[in-house]
Amino acid sequence: MSESSNYGHGEEDDDDEEEVADEAGYKTSKDAVLFAIDVSESMLTKPEDSNPKKRDTMLSPTVAALKCAYALMQQRIISNPNDMMGILLFGTEKSKFQAGDAETGRGGLQYPHCYLLTDLDVPAAADVKQLRSLVEDDDEAADLLVASKEEVSMANVLFCANQIFTTKAPNFSSRRLFLVTDNDYPHASSRDARNSAAVRAKDLYDLGVTIELFPISHPDRGYTFDRSKFYNDIVYSATPSDPDAPMPLTVDIKPASSTAKDGISLLQSLLSSVASRSAPRRALVNNLPFEIGPGLKISVKCFILFKRQEPKRTSYIYLPPDSDKPQIAVGSSTLVADDTARSVEKVEVRRAYKFGGETISFTVEELAKIKHFGDPVLRIIGFKPMSMLPIWANLKPLTFCYPSEEEFIGSTRVFSALHQKLLKDKKMALAWYIPRKNATPALAAIIPGAESRSEEGEQQVPPGLWIKPLPFADDIRQAPDINLVTAPDPLTDAMRVIVQQLQLPKAIYDPRKYPNPSLQWFYRILQALALEEDLPEAAEDKTLPRWKQIHKRAGGYVVGWGEVLDEQFREWQRGHEKHIKPTANGAAKRTKAEPASSGGGAGAKKVKAEDGGEGVTDADMRDAYAKDALSKSLVADLKAWLVGKGLKGVGKKAELVDAVTKYFETKMDVD
Amino acid sequence: MAGKEATVYIVDCGSTMGEKSHGRSQTNLDWALEYVWDKITTTVATGRKMAFAGVVGLRTDGTENLLDNEDDYAHITVFQELGQVLMPQLRKLRQDLVVSGTDGGDAISALVIAIQMIVATCKKLQFQRRIVLVTDGRSAMQADDLGDITSKLKEDSIELVVLGVDFDDAEYGFKEEGKDATKAENEAILRQLCDDCSGVYGTLVQAVDELGVPRVKPTKPVPSYRGMLTLGNPEEYDTALAIDVERYPRTMKANPASASKFVIRSDMAAGEATQSTHTIDGEEAAPNGTNDGLAAVKTARTYQVDDENAPGGKRDVDRDELSKGYEYGRTAVHISESDQNVTLYETSPSFDILGFVNKNQYERYLDMSRSNVIVAQRTNDKASMALSSLIHALYELESYAVARLVMKQNKEPRIVLLAPNIEPDLECLYDLELPFAEDMRSYRFPPLDRVVTVSGKVLTVHRNLPNDDLQDAMSEYVDSMDLSTFGQDDAGQPAEYGAMDETYSIMLHRINQVVKHRAVYPDTDPPPPYEVLTRYSQQPSELANTAHPSLSRLIQAADVKKVPPKARGRRYGRKDAPKPLSELDVGALLAQDSKRSSKQACIDPKNAIPEFKQLLQHAEELPQLRAACAQLKAIIFDWIRHSVGDSGYGRAVEAIRVMREEMAEVSVAAAPYNEFMRELKGTMLDGGLGGERREMWYRVRVNRLGLLLAGECDGGVSEEEGRAFLSAAPVAAAAAAQ
Repeated sequence: MSESSNYGHGEEDDDDEEEVADEAGYKTSKDAVLFAIDVSESMLTKPEDSNPKKRDTMLSPTVAALKCAYALMQQRIISNPNDMMGILLFGTEKSKFQAGDAETGRGGLQYPHCYLLTDLDVPAAADVKQLRSLVEDDDEAADLLVASKEEVSMANVLFCANQIFTTKAPNFSSRRLFLVTDNDYPHASSRDARNSAAVRAKDLYDLGVTIELFPISHPDRGYTFDRSKFYNDIVYSATPSDPDAPMPLTVDIKPASSTAKDGISLLQSLLSSVASRSAPRRALVNNLPFEIGPGLKISVKCFILFKRQEPKRTSYIYLPPDSDKPQIAVGSSTLVADDTARSVEKVEVRRAYKFGGETISFTVEELAKIKHFGDPVLRIIGFKPMSMLPIWANLKPLTFCYPSEEEFIGSTRVFSALHQKLLKDKKMALAWYIPRKNATPALAAIIPGAESRSEEGEQQVPPGLWIKPLPFADDIRQAPDINLVTAPDPLTDAMRVIVQQLQLPKAIYDPRKYPNPSLQWFYRILQALALEEDLPEAAEDKTLPRWKQIHKRAGGYVVGWGEVLDEQFREWQRGHEKHIKPTANGAAKRTKAEPASSGGGAGAKKVKAEDGGEGVTDADMRDAYAKDALSKSLVADLKAWLVGKGLKGVGKKAELVDAVTKYFETKMDVD
Repeated sequence: MAGKEATVYIVDCGSTMGEKSHGRSQTNLDWALEYVWDKITTTVATGRKMAFAGVVGLRTDGTENLLDNEDDYAHITVFQELGQVLMPQLRKLRQDLVVSGTDGGDAISALVIAIQMIVATCKKLQFQRRIVLVTDGRSAMQADDLGDITSKLKEDSIELVVLGVDFDDAEYGFKEEGKDATKAENEAILRQLCDDCSGVYGTLVQAVDELGVPRVKPTKPVPSYRGMLTLGNPEEYDTALAIDVERYPRTMKANPASASKFVIRSDMAAGEATQSTHTIDGEEAAPNGTNDGLAAVKTARTYQVDDENAPGGKRDVDRDELSKGYEYGRTAVHISESDQNVTLYETSPSFDILGFVNKNQYERYLDMSRSNVIVAQRTNDKASMALSSLIHALYELESYAVARLVMKQNKEPRIVLLAPNIEPDLECLYDLELPFAEDMRSYRFPPLDRVVTVSGKVLTVHRNLPNDDLQDAMSEYVDSMDLSTFGQDDAGQPAEYGAMDETYSIMLHRINQVVKHRAVYPDTDPPPPYEVLTRYSQQPSELANTAHPSLSRLIQAADVKKVPPKARGRRYGRKDAPKPLSELDVGALLAQDSKRSSKQACIDPKNAIPEFKQLLQHAEELPQLRAACAQLKAIIFDWIRHSVGDSGYGRAVEAIRVMREEMAEVSVAAAPYNEFMRELKGTMLDGGLGGERREMWYRVRVNRLGLLLAGECDGGVSEEEGRAFLSAAPVAAAAAAQ
């Protein structure tokens, strides 16, 4: 069925036992964003004091907004591939509405001076291309971006948006209109026109569409956007789909300045403003009972704030023989009995466990009872200091939770009191946690998280409690046995200087500064293929260390540390020479002095094993390579050695030998 | 890990084992078997071919063993030779191990038999050898040859475990009063024997008790990275630091056994297909477990593409006609076989430190993954010393390192946090993955310690903020429920309560428990979960009692009120219609609009949902609600009737949802919606809305838009009726609508 295509794509997950959040079935949990961008004379005027060296500052507000939409579109294809987006220009000389709407024959005449640039839909490569050519090709822009001489009716703009949402994104859980304008007082002379706009805004509200305003000021012209003149009649504080949404914090809606005096261009501030609102909030769990103690329950909502973003899985593509336009093939699964290949209804399926060469089966009811440990709850068992939570005690990203007044009045104040207490005393709670009906119970730590804001006052991490499912004894692995050689104090002292030299900015890790290089590369290539662009040659990888800086700041200290290490290690060896014992497989353990370092420089401090207790050493392997005797090595040794180098240790012996040979061919200069 | 092991269980089946001692409800044999079955099924569950078990019955009616021509070895029966135990053997053993009618049979002789079995099977091979003797010690034993037995056990390194029914054990704190002399004597002999061969001697009650404590399966550490940890670039600079390290898992989710999907085989009658007694004859079961009347279920996938000419606009395509590619938005991007690697970001294994961060500023919510442990290359003392200096420096400076790790060639780089750990014989770094920019979602939430109003005013007193009293009460309660010293360590000293190494994976052990139980007792209901699995589902009662006054005070200060189900959401006729930020009275504006103000206003199909909602704002009486719903109904029917394929379904579903939600909020108004829904179903499935509309009905079902239930709204139908409505045939529904 077509519904399944939204969710069940390629899902062969056996685990259908957890009941999916109730709300999911109700509305399509997707987001639709329609940009409405004002195209007026003032919006098309480039800032006067722009800096010609910085191209960004040369943009007119309209073009900056289009660039911003372009960036968002590219980004959303990556992060929210099922979400819709559209772009509506208003105040243009030209008018255009949905193409080919034969049913009603609606044309541009219906919404004069509204130009639907990109209809609301999941973006296609063509949409990205069209938008790109508009922001990059001045001629094309000059043709389209012409302000109308008569004032566009805001009521009409809003109704146009209403119709776009109604027809293209019915039943979406989140529908948002991003309104970018510098005109804080449209229809200045007509109260009636303003009132009709207010009525159309109410329609949008009743339809479940949220208006997000991106107002632009022009400090260079002495103009500051005043929301109270008109837009406070248009914008509603709470959205019908999310009654708990915060008041729009006024600091968040800073009018972007069209000048670049403070170093931030209009485009940049628009981008950051849009980015902070680009993701609609979607609760993982709605109204989970949070039991502070027996008889004291409040309700919370849980959200996923951190989730590993993975490259897309491959899909099946159909290449029709008579056209060159590839199509996405939509897959669906049916259950089939193995013996007769007849298709099987879900209710017929039994669950059984393999045991002792046979299967042990339970009825569905039995299994449900076996796995039932109570209703969904987050129940506090007690409190511990944070110091009792070892750093390694983690299994997966944490879940954020925030109070909700929907089930219990007073949840917020109780939650706040708990939050403040835990923060102040650096404590955590231990909790019994069943997030959903029939979910496996976990023991979790509840950790307080303080609000963090950027220097500009933008909230970066919200305040709330974090649920961290703890590993059970079964999930904790024993550390391997090691021969510990503790560093003597002088060596630690030498290392301490190095650590002090190389603090990251503000001594914190800021994830925003580290885009995932594999993911970025994947999508750049995919985009290039989709848009038929040239493939990029090299990837930008911001996760690579700043080697030059490290060399400059700490290089000298590293050399010093290396000398101390040599000296201290020689001393240690003198004290331990007698204790060299044969290891389990009979190989004697020897530790030689510093091996020859690369390039002949005395500085490179490689601490390399010259001889391992297991497997073959680099030296052995290199010897064998030099003597062309690799084929005499054991397959197991070759494999182990290759794996040790992080290479693929699979295949036939000849392949393994090839792999080792290849390795040395490229590394020979080291010798 | 999986070494070879051989265990012989000697189970006393003598007539005295049929007694029920010390007020227990089961016989001594059944009680002892609880232990034995648990051990054997644990071995069976591993599925290891080289985990051998053997079973010897002691004091059996019959006699069957290697030395059964000697009198000393009478009443000893080898029920199961050493070998892998599977279900058929388990079933046989269940028949074998029953109380006999005899008291003859010498435990020491049985020991000799067991030793013989092990010697014959294991020869000089690498085996873990063990003999477990479970007895009540109430028959005479010949203790003359004990010296030989001790030396044989030692020589072959066979571990001896003796568990006695109601044996005295001072350590565990059990003493049987009024013990008969034979038993006391036997206990002394067996205890001496265990002491001599360094075996284990215990009382059965302890062993059975401990069955409730799950065993944790140790896993051999396998390194996920071996190579250098570098600071700086050794290829480019001669000032780079490189230490040979190895990385092993520290945490790893242990998953419960997964159930496979089966159906009853089509050639079987339903009744036959339960626990049938097909044997396997040592062969691997038929590949899909069909031996017990079940056929495995597989997933078959079919693929469709859009095709304008095909009926329904879609057409099936064969897997072979398809090739690999990706979706970019709604555009398909084809990637030919030869270009498969074009999207791969090429990397080579490396582990580079980026810099250092302050431990105290690190936020734990950045933890993204399971953790690992990093140690120096295990045979490299110099690397060990070098790494130790980094660990100590980080520790002293209260710092963590941040590093970029590529585990294997062409694996994606990950950023990890490195935290120092110093223990007497383990110095290491723990690592956890950190998020990338793309992994964060910026959802905004208002502050919790202040309220910011629309006008930008900051409030510190507000109903959503705790007052001083609530803050105090919370503080007192949190302090009173402190677990850091509520537990007890092995020495009885105060220790952390609920420490991770005392908590066991709930579902894993629960599933193991019931599977093992069903294997032995196929006809009994599954037992309740072990106490230890649910121990942490509630506050420890002792502590909760102490903290009760604080909690009472907190409850009072919190003044939390449950929202009655009815009051949730908006209600019709309410005073405070939503207003824009300016508080402009839009309702008044709407009232001026002649098209919308009148009570008989006509809903514009293009703006149906907003106008329907606005109409309801003024609707107070049932007839008005009905009239509004009737208008929307006509529009919905129109959409469905004129829908090309499924083009109008989305809007129709949305409108139905809105009608349902709005009606659910009105306390008397289940009727208009339910009447509508019944009519919709009847008309639509009878083909009255422009032909075949099953897909639309499917959407009504998956979106759960059926009749309003009594739990949702006054006048709603029962749950059964609601469910029946969604699944019943159209004719029945049409009849119900009359």
